[in-house]
Amino acid sequence: MDVSNWRAGPAPQMDAAAALPARAGMGLRPQHYLEFLQRRPDVGFIEVHSENYFGQGGKAYDCLLRARADYAVSLHGVGLSLGSADPLNRDHIAELKRLIDAVEPAAVSDHVCWSSVGTVYANDLLPLPYTREALDHMVRRVDAVQQALGRRILVENVSSYLEFECSQMSEWDFLAELAQASGCGILLDVNNIYVSACNHGFDPHAYLAAIAPHKVEEIHLAGFTRKQFEDGEILIDTHSRPVADDVWQLYAAALARFGPVATLIEWDTDLPPLDDLLHEVRHAQTLLEASHARIA
Amino acid sequence: MPALRELQEAVFDALFRRNERATAEVRDQGLAPARRLQIYRNNMMVSLADALAAVYPVVQRLVGEDFFRHSARRYIPLHPSRAGHLQPFGAAYAEFLAGFEPAAGLPYLPDVARLEWAWHEVFHAAAAPPLDLARLAAVPEDARDGVQLHLQPAARLVASDYPVLSIWQTNQDGHAGDSTLSLDSGGEQVLVIQRDLEVELHALGRAEHELLDRLARGATLAEAAEAAFAREPEFDFAAQFARHLALGSFAGLALAA
Repeated sequence: MDVSNWRAGPAPQMDAAAALPARAGMGLRPQHYLEFLQRRPDVGFIEVHSENYFGQGGKAYDCLLRARADYAVSLHGVGLSLGSADPLNRDHIAELKRLIDAVEPAAVSDHVCWSSVGTVYANDLLPLPYTREALDHMVRRVDAVQQALGRRILVENVSSYLEFECSQMSEWDFLAELAQASGCGILLDVNNIYVSACNHGFDPHAYLAAIAPHKVEEIHLAGFTRKQFEDGEILIDTHSRPVADDVWQLYAAALARFGPVATLIEWDTDLPPLDDLLHEVRHAQTLLEASHARIA
Repeated sequence: MPALRELQEAVFDALFRRNERATAEVRDQGLAPARRLQIYRNNMMVSLADALAAVYPVVQRLVGEDFFRHSARRYIPLHPSRAGHLQPFGAAYAEFLAGFEPAAGLPYLPDVARLEWAWHEVFHAAAAPPLDLARLAAVPEDARDGVQLHLQPAARLVASDYPVLSIWQTNQDGHAGDSTLSLDSGGEQVLVIQRDLEVELHALGRAEHELLDRLARGATLAEAAEAAFAREPEFDFAAQFARHLALGSFAGLALAA
């Protein structure tokens, strides 16, 4: 099937009032919950990994609901496996829907990737081949998920450590066309663009230039790790370090193109003290305000 | 050009079985294709082993990190994650350890893992309000023997021939006091229960465990009490029953047909 002939169902409209504020937010992880709730720092929104709350019980879920009373929430998924050739996991979608109904998030997102074959999951965000077949498949899957959830979702570009021989288009053209054809929004991970650009030798600015400004509804920033091998170096998207200087520069270029967009600092392993994370959030907020000022 | 499905199956073969047919599909530029697939294999194994270690910290402490990682590398391909979230991942680890030859010298290890899995499930479970005593009081006296009590959904029972609770407690950070245990000190039974969002572990007597276990399996109060007395003729039913009403061990009530 050709994407140009594919007619997605009417993409459910997200309540405009529920959109993420164009401010800097932080990924909230269990290690920081109690301190965060005590201090209630001035951040634009919080984001959590949806799957960690599927049980809808216990201490972590209670903390999320308490934070939700004061902050806009973004539910970020890592397990929909949108690009897998196997059937969509209806149990997963039902769990996500239940969580959305309880949390009423401002945004719901997952990745342009695949994670499963049959019923087995790799617990990783694996890159797709950028083919027409994969694009058609992704458009249908994003559409099916949006219909099932009754709302638009955002899809995020992943970091990758390999490219497939059979790819027929660039990742950025794939992403742009997916958003256009399915009606979904884009969660642009600027760190992932930088990591993949270094790993595959493309120009990260060409990536930004291919994405339509009105499609980008959230930006992610995180830290990566360099890994040396005898046949070369590779950047790994570890979310374990501060945002790199080069990535801050690319972020500034993204803001110049896309305008002020809700921006998340993600930190998942080797978590620093909350203050260090808030320091990163403030830096993103400063750049966001500078871009507001340029537009005004 | 391989279809999407074939390509994904080939990549999974590389991740789970070290099969190299996917290398031909990977662009050969800079780092070798096999190396690039190996990075993904490594990421997967490390992230799943980390997930297992997060659920089983006491097992890891008992066997050491190297041994634990070795067991995880064997466990992951045999019992891979089968959901897009990790909560169910690791459910079969106790059973796996029971048949894991290198751990044969530590016969209590599978039961320690069972206790940690119970903790993990209880931590994530949505608790139900404790049984309202008024509901129990409203049951006519002559119908009380036929009452079935539902165990709190955020509670699990673990019974072992080994002192699992003592082993667990001795291996918590900040444990003070005697850290030597005799494995001959007998078995222990444990109630793992969520109260005020915290996970608590309570030691149970044999008859007390029998009572709760029977109730959890659908026995009536009379049947469960009878089984408890069969364990220990001097079982203090009234005191133990009151204890569990106070702990919130029961969440619901039904009358047997």
